[in-house]
Amino acid sequence: MKLSLITFVFRQVRSSLRHLAWSHILTSMTMALTLFVFGAFMMLQANLEQLLTAWGDQIHITAYLGRALEPAELDRLLKSVETLPGVERVRYTSQTQAWNEFQSVLGAQSGLLEGLPHDVLPASLEISVKRGQRDSSTVERLAQQLREKSEVASVEYPQEWVERLALIVLALAWVKWLVAGVFFLATFFIVGNTVKLAIYARRDEVEIMQLVGASETLIKAPFVLEGMLQGVAGGALALAALWAGYVLLREQIEVFAGALWSDGHVRFLNLEAAFFLVAIGLVLGAGGSLVSLRRIVKTWRGLQVPV
Amino acid sequence: MRIQLLHVSKTFPPRQQALADINLEIGERELVFISGPSGAGKSTLLKLLFRELESSEGEILIDGRNVTRLSSRGVARLRRKMGLVFQEFRFLPALSVIDNVALAAQVLGVSKKQSRVKAYQLLKELGLKDRYDAKPFMLSAGEQQRVAIARALINDPSLVIADEPTGNIDEELADGIMQLFLKIRDRGATVVIATHHRVLMERYGARVIKIERGFIIDGSSGRISRPEYTW
Repeated sequence: MKLSLITFVFRQVRSSLRHLAWSHILTSMTMALTLFVFGAFMMLQANLEQLLTAWGDQIHITAYLGRALEPAELDRLLKSVETLPGVERVRYTSQTQAWNEFQSVLGAQSGLLEGLPHDVLPASLEISVKRGQRDSSTVERLAQQLREKSEVASVEYPQEWVERLALIVLALAWVKWLVAGVFFLATFFIVGNTVKLAIYARRDEVEIMQLVGASETLIKAPFVLEGMLQGVAGGALALAALWAGYVLLREQIEVFAGALWSDGHVRFLNLEAAFFLVAIGLVLGAGGSLVSLRRIVKTWRGLQVPV
Repeated sequence: MRIQLLHVSKTFPPRQQALADINLEIGERELVFISGPSGAGKSTLLKLLFRELESSEGEILIDGRNVTRLSSRGVARLRRKMGLVFQEFRFLPALSVIDNVALAAQVLGVSKKQSRVKAYQLLKELGLKDRYDAKPFMLSAGEQQRVAIARALINDPSLVIADEPTGNIDEELADGIMQLFLKIRDRGATVVIATHHRVLMERYGARVIKIERGFIIDGSSGRISRPEYTW
């Protein structure tokens, strides 16, 4: 497209923003409302994922050793376990450490252990699984590989929790797409209708442009650009509203959240997610405009704009 | 531009026949009048030429291209070579006179500055240099007519189609406008004017195609030949 035509498109957009200011403001606000709900859901998801990660960090596989190992033997075992796929880190607990930890857990009741030999508890390996691989099949496979080692007597892991965690992550992903789908559809519909109104408001102009031979691209471009601008404005407004809500409600939510995860901090959307929200606005604005224009232009067939 | 109409009919739903079996040829650099009473089909015939309406039957060839089969892109390309003067003017009320004229050049890629310079020259030529900044509704009907003509001429068209261009103006001004159309014809354009201005038609001695109730009753030229298709 020629530079003069590009400046023409921008002039058209500027003129439309000035003459149909209220229509554009209302559409941006409606989009902001939709994106606000979507953004709030993104925030909820991010914080829930953080909660799940914190819970996930506490889930370990424990491999109890059958006998006390020589340092060289232990070193070999540690190395072979560390290289198993899905293992994030391995922590060795000797029989003495196990005894001490047990004692400190019992606290005032530690007198109950009197008379027992200090090597009554077995040495163990505490294996953390990598994030993103904490599903039941990975954990089950790892446990099996550990069982196959001659030095390992038994393996334990909280299977129920692993399965529950995987289920929550899966449900969250489904809900996210379901909510996103409903909101995207609604936004498409809203933008599409606004573009339709904008076209009708500028019917004479579009008709004259068609009659003097303007290309379809030139006629459509300002509407698409307006849709994109509305989307970006809506996204920015939604972010501002989310930030305001976050600042106002953070303290109250953190009191409740503190009971659920260790640091108890509610986090705002990160930079990537914030850009993503604005980008969704942009894509929805442009997409809504294009779909609506396609439907309307189909009926033009190079003829008059329908009244 | 050479125009050929072969057995062209136009029927509006449900059964209102506006044009019936029109056969017509207009040569390159020719100026023709299309005359007839109101409702005879003059405006419909003009609208078929620039595809604001589609014919119900027949073929319309402009420089060998069948207008009835053009895609929307093809229609846009065809219209870029045309200058259209509408009976109802079709101005954008929010734009000034000069911007209404310049818009027709801007959509084809001429810069705002260049298009305004050219629009001003045309308005000056048409006696409107003091009214260039006014809004269209502030002008008299005659002035609006001239603005519409200026807009039609800004892209140096090869075909000018004018629907009643002298309908709202006095004799002297009508003469001035006709002189302008002759000048355009002499520059190489074909000019088709729908009018029922009898005096004007007699004074300029151009071919007059008479239409009544959708039929050509005189002036179709009798030179209808098979068209040479370019596709």
